[in-house]
Amino acid sequence: MPATDALLLDTSDIQATVLRPRPRPYRGQYVVLRIDEAPEGREMLRRLIPHVAPAEEWWAPTLPGWLGIAFTYQGLKALGVPQSSLDSFPEEFREGMAARATILNDVGINAPANWEYPFGTADMHVALAIYSNDDKSLEFVLERARQTHHDLPAISVVYRLKFSELPDGRNPFGFKDGLHNPHVEGGGSPVQPGSESSIKAGEFILGYPDELGEIATGPEPRELRLNGTFVALRKFHTKVAAFRKYLREQASSSAEEELIAAKMVGRWRSGAPLVLAPEHDNANLGADANRNNNFNYEDDIHGLKCPFSAHIRRVNPRDALKNDLVATNLHHFLRRGTNYGPPLPEGVLEDDGAERGGVFLLIGAHLKRQFEFVQSQWITDGNFISHGTEQDPILGNADGCGVFTIPKHPLRRHLHALPQFVTARGGEYCFMPGLRALKWLASLNDKGEKNAGY
Amino acid sequence: MPATEAKVKTRPGTKAGQASEFTLISKLKPGGAERIRGLLADGFTGERQTNTDRIATVHDLRFVIFDNDTRIIFASTFDGDWESYINDFATILPDEIDLLFHEFEGYPGIHSPEIKDWIVAQQVSAVGFYSAYPDASVREVWKALKAKKALDALLDSVN
Repeated sequence: MPATDALLLDTSDIQATVLRPRPRPYRGQYVVLRIDEAPEGREMLRRLIPHVAPAEEWWAPTLPGWLGIAFTYQGLKALGVPQSSLDSFPEEFREGMAARATILNDVGINAPANWEYPFGTADMHVALAIYSNDDKSLEFVLERARQTHHDLPAISVVYRLKFSELPDGRNPFGFKDGLHNPHVEGGGSPVQPGSESSIKAGEFILGYPDELGEIATGPEPRELRLNGTFVALRKFHTKVAAFRKYLREQASSSAEEELIAAKMVGRWRSGAPLVLAPEHDNANLGADANRNNNFNYEDDIHGLKCPFSAHIRRVNPRDALKNDLVATNLHHFLRRGTNYGPPLPEGVLEDDGAERGGVFLLIGAHLKRQFEFVQSQWITDGNFISHGTEQDPILGNADGCGVFTIPKHPLRRHLHALPQFVTARGGEYCFMPGLRALKWLASLNDKGEKNAGY
Repeated sequence: MPATEAKVKTRPGTKAGQASEFTLISKLKPGGAERIRGLLADGFTGERQTNTDRIATVHDLRFVIFDNDTRIIFASTFDGDWESYINDFATILPDEIDLLFHEFEGYPGIHSPEIKDWIVAQQVSAVGFYSAYPDASVREVWKALKAKKALDALLDSVN
């Protein structure tokens, strides 16, 4: 039994989506709403609040599912949040993800001009994330959500996306996913064996000290920010056939295909990390939560087991950058990923045209130094590992011109003309308030003041 | 007197390895700030980049206008010694130098016998100067980059 750390956070107020993993197995839906009249928006919110899952109820939810809610800047504005409060939100949140495209390297195919509606437009106001274990439960929670606005003409559903677990908990490329998240200090989650220390709660939730020893002073007022956080929502499309085809072209055997794929990811398909299993996949290791994160890069300083440029070594360098002037503890976020679309049947190398991929909620109190830093410095650049402009082999957007370096004795290997395996279909920055903050929002009047009686 | 001789030969500027810094602070002629902005509007691109590359001993250079457009800093890092640095500029790009420095108050012109004394009078030595590669010259950096490119191509062709 892994140790559980003391519960120091107000889990009756923090949304379950922030602190708890998605259920297993999972089915769910993302729903995006637009609010055309503030009073109706607040009425919808009043009805919805009893269904929003707090972190403390994760193990025994009131509903047969979990509902999370977050607002874009445009959404808070549409709800009638006063301008002084809107102005107290961080710049990147106020601008929205599309406006940050240059910083995020969302260019070329990933440019906001190519995103799906309503991403990157002013029509995206409220995002609901609904998780459950099965279709019947999902239908039940969705119906509850629908009832909160079915008689409110100024509330419209502008987007829906169904998601569900793929066989064996794999991602569309066939890799075991959702294996790693930072451990939030005081959150009451089990501490998995590994060399990483817990991260201060203020990195992920407003109202608590962060890794710099600071407690957030915005957004105002305190009732709105306490136990809230920010979410970078990203929708990706995965080109699974292109991935398989590329491996086939670069390798001379199926074993080599698997090795190249593992080198790109940093783990084998089972989840077994390359550092612990450098030669072959090890299914037992991959499935063992007590071992599959229990590693660092101390014994792989030349990247001969796990390449410097491998996806998991980039996005979570563990101790790999300890000799550089990088404060790795300032660049973590919580990752709640879900997959959508059908799996591409085994062995198929031609694209079937199906929409498949992942939607990620990347959660943290500091979008700039967490999501934006990781996306711009570690995913879409290579200078931090002396790799020039080389990008993440999986998430990079080099559009067919990508290079991937595999350190090897006596000669390193370069893979050239890497196709773009993942494209951005959209994204947005959201604020995910605590439950009391939701009540504060619902209690505003048309002057942006709080009504008495709440 | 040896001491005097040494003093005559000492030029301003601080060294780090084989690299030297060159910082020149001068007043601008009236309206000079606007004219320099105009001249440098396209930055060091195209022909200006190619011409400056021909010096091949300059790591970087910058013009900074300050004090309400009344003063300017020219700062640079170069390989080798002061004399030949000035000589290189005067030989390779006399017109370009005259064009850019024309707005510096009291600039005598690159071919003037006064030029070196004028520079010395405006030059201020840095109290701190760091180089990440104090032993590498511009040419060596270029050569190393070329070698890396060639080596990468070679390695790619064998595996």
